[in-house]
Amino acid sequence: MIHFDRFTLENGLKVIFHKDPTSPLAVVNTLYDVGARDESPEKTGFAHLFEHLMFGGSVNIPDFDAPLQHAGGESNAFTSNDITNYYDVLPAQNLETALWLESDRMMSLAFTPKSLETQRSVVIEEFKQRYLNQPYGDVWLYLRPLAYTVHPYQWATIGKEIKHIEDAEMVDVVEFFNKFYNPSNAILCIAGNFELAYIKEVVEKWYSDIPSGIKPARVLPAEPQQTVFREQTIERKVPSDAFYYAFKMPERKNTDYFIVDILSDAMGRDKSSRLYTKIQKELKLVTEIGAYITGSLNDGLLIISGKLSPDVTFEQVDNAIWEVMDTMINIPLSDQEMNRLKNKIKTAKAFQDKGLLNRAMNLAYFELLGDADGINEEAQIYEAIMPKHIQLVSKNILIKTNCSLLKVKAI
Amino acid sequence: MRKTPPAIHPLQKIDFISPKIYDITGDVKLFWMSEVADDTVHLEFHFDAGTIQGEPSLAGFVNALLLSGTDKKSSTQIQDDLNDLGAFVDIEIGQEVAIINLFCLRQYTEAAVDILADALVNLAFVSHEVDDMLREKKQAYLVSSEKVNMLGRRAFQAQMFSNSDRYGRIMKATDFDTVSIPELKRFHKDFYLHGLTKIVVTGNLNVSYIDRLIDVAGAWARTEHLSFEDTFINIPGEMHVEKADAVQTAIRMGIQLFNKTHEDFLDFQVLQTIFGDYFGSRLMSNIREDKGYTYGIGCGVSESHKSGFFIIATEVGKEVAKPTLDEIRFEMYRLRTDPVGEEELNLVKNYLLGQMLKSADGPDAMMSLFMGVEMHGKGYEYYNEAIESVTNVTAERLQELANKYLIWENFTIITAGEQ
Repeated sequence: MIHFDRFTLENGLKVIFHKDPTSPLAVVNTLYDVGARDESPEKTGFAHLFEHLMFGGSVNIPDFDAPLQHAGGESNAFTSNDITNYYDVLPAQNLETALWLESDRMMSLAFTPKSLETQRSVVIEEFKQRYLNQPYGDVWLYLRPLAYTVHPYQWATIGKEIKHIEDAEMVDVVEFFNKFYNPSNAILCIAGNFELAYIKEVVEKWYSDIPSGIKPARVLPAEPQQTVFREQTIERKVPSDAFYYAFKMPERKNTDYFIVDILSDAMGRDKSSRLYTKIQKELKLVTEIGAYITGSLNDGLLIISGKLSPDVTFEQVDNAIWEVMDTMINIPLSDQEMNRLKNKIKTAKAFQDKGLLNRAMNLAYFELLGDADGINEEAQIYEAIMPKHIQLVSKNILIKTNCSLLKVKAI
Repeated sequence: MRKTPPAIHPLQKIDFISPKIYDITGDVKLFWMSEVADDTVHLEFHFDAGTIQGEPSLAGFVNALLLSGTDKKSSTQIQDDLNDLGAFVDIEIGQEVAIINLFCLRQYTEAAVDILADALVNLAFVSHEVDDMLREKKQAYLVSSEKVNMLGRRAFQAQMFSNSDRYGRIMKATDFDTVSIPELKRFHKDFYLHGLTKIVVTGNLNVSYIDRLIDVAGAWARTEHLSFEDTFINIPGEMHVEKADAVQTAIRMGIQLFNKTHEDFLDFQVLQTIFGDYFGSRLMSNIREDKGYTYGIGCGVSESHKSGFFIIATEVGKEVAKPTLDEIRFEMYRLRTDPVGEEELNLVKNYLLGQMLKSADGPDAMMSLFMGVEMHGKGYEYYNEAIESVTNVTAERLQELANKYLIWENFTIITAGEQ
């Protein structure tokens, strides 16, 4: 059980406080309700580029990192298709340093043309390092637009192409900040060995004078129900052929989301899973195979991916994969399989909850979903799932017309 | 109010919790951190089965086969049994050590260890399991060979340990074709069944179970002396590994250095942090934040039991590989000629003390902190010395160290990419 308190400032900033009497550290986690899905199709990669710029100094503070490091702390951030999340970890006695820094950059940034120019280059190098200079690194740049025809999940957080990052201008940056970076669009989570009254006092002190702003209304184009099987093959200089099956699945708030999560575990989480034991271990058609979900807030994807063994054809593997998927529909999980999956989820959760930073991040994320207490309710949701539920969602999801297949052909 | 930073309160001290230490044999010990408030258990079995042992590549293959089955159980049955308990097993290998990590909940620890012990002791090296491993590992090897980062890493290893066949060895694609089962069996017997060097336990277990663990694993204790080497020679100068069509070039450069047992170690930590080991470092400020040549650049000291080396690593746009090397050289030179300013030095001191506090947060972090000094025959008092040393180091001392160690001509410099 993870305990927390919650309060809201007059300007709309939601605050979660999690007390941990055992840690000498404090975590300040700030989640902004903006991600790559909020970008315009002509200016993609912007939420992420902007995350880089948030470290370039704010209205009263020329450099974000130095004062935090001086206080013994460090900071980082990540951007997903759904959110942008910033976190600071520092000795508890210096908590106010983090609040001073975070509140100032929520209030107003001080962008310089130099900072924009440099971060454009840094992000372009990140694009190359992660997507272009790795074998199979660019598959998501193809799989997303194959699976999504209208929803902004059709581009990756890094952006559709390098040119969008090169073209980013100062006016875009300022507009983006004004629209999304304000108290009414943020969730602040503080964790550490403090008293609630103290937290209220220091949060008031640093955040209450920031103008509320208007929470931007989010109207995203809904992805229409897929009705035909889609397939694309790209040719790359890689050592072996690879495949990525992407099935549409329900959004994060749908109860079926959790069932599909367990379904993906049953198919391909570990070396007991059905895809691994059948296709890799028994038939030896692949040298690796796995299944997982993208975990996105809007309708997401269930992915089955792997690499072919030498001299095996895509057709052979395709037939075998569909046969395994048929077993998900026709052969219910045994009690043993079901317990195994649930036990692994319990262990993983117990280890995740150990870290103060993890707890702070997850509390903020669940608050975004509607209620931070969701962090304590997940275990029961998984516990209640039964084999028949998994068969039912398998029947709806694991069908050809709900599938987009990307193949990487080695040349 | 916003122009003035809040007051900074410096780190006073760190409250360390010591693990309990049990003798398995005279040299082999079990370390137990029982102060864990939740149900998680992390167990580590350390073996003298790193890549320096045996014939080249053999250690890696045996390591990958540890759960590949016995005469009675297939690899899949072993996996099923562990997964039924919700246990995660992570097996790793380095130059000097191989570690079996078990992560599970308290109530399943005993059963999970029994499964692991049976798999380890009765490992049968069934030929089709060996073939599966070789096929999968070879594919993974070929994929990793497409990464400039990995190509740089391999060349670096050979150049850095030029005088030691055991430490400088790197895997080749042909290694997968020449494995014999008797060789694997011999290695398993020598370095696992008689190779346990320590057990590390972090979890709120019963003390009676710790005794049982010692009984179970005691039979594997290492009896022979460890054969770690202490003197390595890196070949200075540039070496390029060509990789056609790479849009970025990986740079790795380094010199042989020392570990915690050396008198310069702690002060060098401060110097190398300023140079490249935090977000505000000279290398990051110049090469990322000013020039935008890279997504990241860093440096660090990698320690072994009897030695250590210093490494700088980055991946940069291929057209700026040469300018990046020029800037690294410039920053090295600057540390030798100009004393570090007071403001920067104070910032780094505070940063390092804060990081020390972070690395002692929670039983798992505390345990790895302890093991980090235990391997050099020291205890927590080392960290108290470190706090004092970091607090008192002067700019003059850092400049002296820069002139002693940061000598460009001594560095091995590897570039991997398209020239």
